[in-house]
Amino acid sequence: MAKDKEDLRFNKRLNQEIERWLIEGIIEPAQKQNILARYKLLEEAEQKAGPGKLVTTLSLLSSILIGAGLLLFIASNWSAIPKWGKLSIIFGSMVASYGLGFYMRYEKGNYPRVGASLILLGSLIFGTGIFLIAQIYHISVHYPHGPLLWGLAVLPLAYFLGYKSLLSLAILDLLIWMGMESSFWVSAFTNLLNFYPLITLYLMAGIALWSIGLTHMGIERWRKISGPYVGFGVVLTFLPSYLLTFNFFWSEWLGSIDLLIFYLGIGGLFLISTILRLFLREKEKGWTLETLSLFFVLLIALFVALFLPGRVSQILRERYLLIANILFALGVIGLIVLGYIRRYPSYINIGLLFFVLDLVARYFDFFWKLLPRSLFFIIGGLILLLGGVMLERKRRKVLASFNIEELD
Amino acid sequence: MRGKFIVLILIQVLLLTGMIIYRQYWVHTGQRIILVTEPVDPRDIFRGDYVRLSYEISRLDLNKLGVKERFKRGEKIYVHLEKDDRGTFSASSATKVQPAGKTFIQGRVSNVSANAQRYTIHLLDDFGNIHVLEARWFHGKKGERLTFALDARNRVLNYSKEEKSPGSGNATNRWITGTVGEIKVEKVTQLNVEYGIESYFVEEGKGRQIEASRESRNLRVEVSLRKDGQGMITALVMGKTVFR
Repeated sequence: MAKDKEDLRFNKRLNQEIERWLIEGIIEPAQKQNILARYKLLEEAEQKAGPGKLVTTLSLLSSILIGAGLLLFIASNWSAIPKWGKLSIIFGSMVASYGLGFYMRYEKGNYPRVGASLILLGSLIFGTGIFLIAQIYHISVHYPHGPLLWGLAVLPLAYFLGYKSLLSLAILDLLIWMGMESSFWVSAFTNLLNFYPLITLYLMAGIALWSIGLTHMGIERWRKISGPYVGFGVVLTFLPSYLLTFNFFWSEWLGSIDLLIFYLGIGGLFLISTILRLFLREKEKGWTLETLSLFFVLLIALFVALFLPGRVSQILRERYLLIANILFALGVIGLIVLGYIRRYPSYINIGLLFFVLDLVARYFDFFWKLLPRSLFFIIGGLILLLGGVMLERKRRKVLASFNIEELD
Repeated sequence: MRGKFIVLILIQVLLLTGMIIYRQYWVHTGQRIILVTEPVDPRDIFRGDYVRLSYEISRLDLNKLGVKERFKRGEKIYVHLEKDDRGTFSASSATKVQPAGKTFIQGRVSNVSANAQRYTIHLLDDFGNIHVLEARWFHGKKGERLTFALDARNRVLNYSKEEKSPGSGNATNRWITGTVGEIKVEKVTQLNVEYGIESYFVEEGKGRQIEASRESRNLRVEVSLRKDGQGMITALVMGKTVFR
């Protein structure tokens, strides 16, 4: 797929260049026709690929809708469908979806995008199958096992086929499992609202995922599925960190010794992926700085989770908050700089997003009490509007300097 | 490529089949017991597709059971069960270690109330009968005429000065009016325990029918116990109706 995109880009560029060559007298009109004829196939491919993204989006959406529809169909006809009927629907639709998807994508190869979506649908049906079978047979033993089983079974399929969609599904399942399972381990976890220990836990998980993604990037055969790891990793690192820039979140324990086994597991994954990266021949620019920063943030998160008492004096709380804010700002700047050095539009986009979010939050923090409400909103709106325009221009300039098209 | 793909899909099929086989094995080898249960919220039993069930053994009064061991939240607990004259099982003791040669169910402590209060209230009704009621809170005084709302297990849900005709009430509780006699307050250690059998799935619409039935006060659950005490619901019994 990536190769197709490159070809299409080349074709576009070629057309532009040929026009210039003609004006500059380098080639004759007949030569232009010859050259274009040679690359006609590419043009045809482009025409085909035009609605390709639409096809992918539509078939992805339809997969999710069919999966949800199936679940609702069984749920609302529970007593009308006998046990074996329900099981037949689950197994039948799962195997059919996988089989048809494989045939369309790999055997016949006529509808590759729809085929890939059908394979994703198969994995979605597998997951709903776990929960439906649990319901049919009233298996309620330790419900976090559900997402764990789902994630672990989809993971090898994602690696085998090299699908980002399947890998994203598996990562999402395992992240949900982590949240559910950890709630059983924290003795202070009285209800869902008491989610404070989850902030540092997900922050650490984000760092580990990020590191695993970087290792995947350096291994040729896994490079194309490194995206979901890095994507989930970066967002999961910055989102909990962003929460920690608010005063509100420093009022409780942000971790627990009860979660030590999770911290060790996450730390282990981080260390293994980092050590593996040391042996890779190809290393990305600025990898030492990135790895050291991740390690540093992981240590801080661990320290906050294990040693920082929940209820402290206001002065101490403000100090923690100040440090968290400085570190967060440094992190955002670091991410943008890294994106610039390495030419990763995604780093720059995520970095700018959190930059804006931070700006908005701090504006609220500092001016909410100082300004009259009307003025507060008008000034805030103006700053956002002007800031947005400026940032967008800057972002485009930076991305244009990479000389690559941004993938949306 | 095709071969490997088939193997990976087969693993998923086997995992799902494994869940069914595991459950069937459990049901066939486990010991069947009947537990008295009631919906958690007496006003709205079937919320959505799940019934949240609470059992007599969901709240353990350690003083009443004579248990000296101290339990922490999240800890495993083995609740010893004994068959009563109703044919159902109720708690007789609780330990941290698996007991030998006894019927027991494994659970996890979800809450510990070290200073919980238990009120024992003697109530004289209009027919001269004395009822011994158990409540978790009570602010009434001796000699006061009160109406108590009782749950299926005769525990006080709430009380008021309003008069109600005897036997009235909705599907899940009943009323009793009388004069308050002796009141006894005890400090007790109470544990809330979860056994993994607290939810039961019913299809859309069916819940309303069950809710409307007066039989819902008479709810029993059939549980299959594994050797390690893990329980699994095999049926919900409501009067003469059995849901499997």
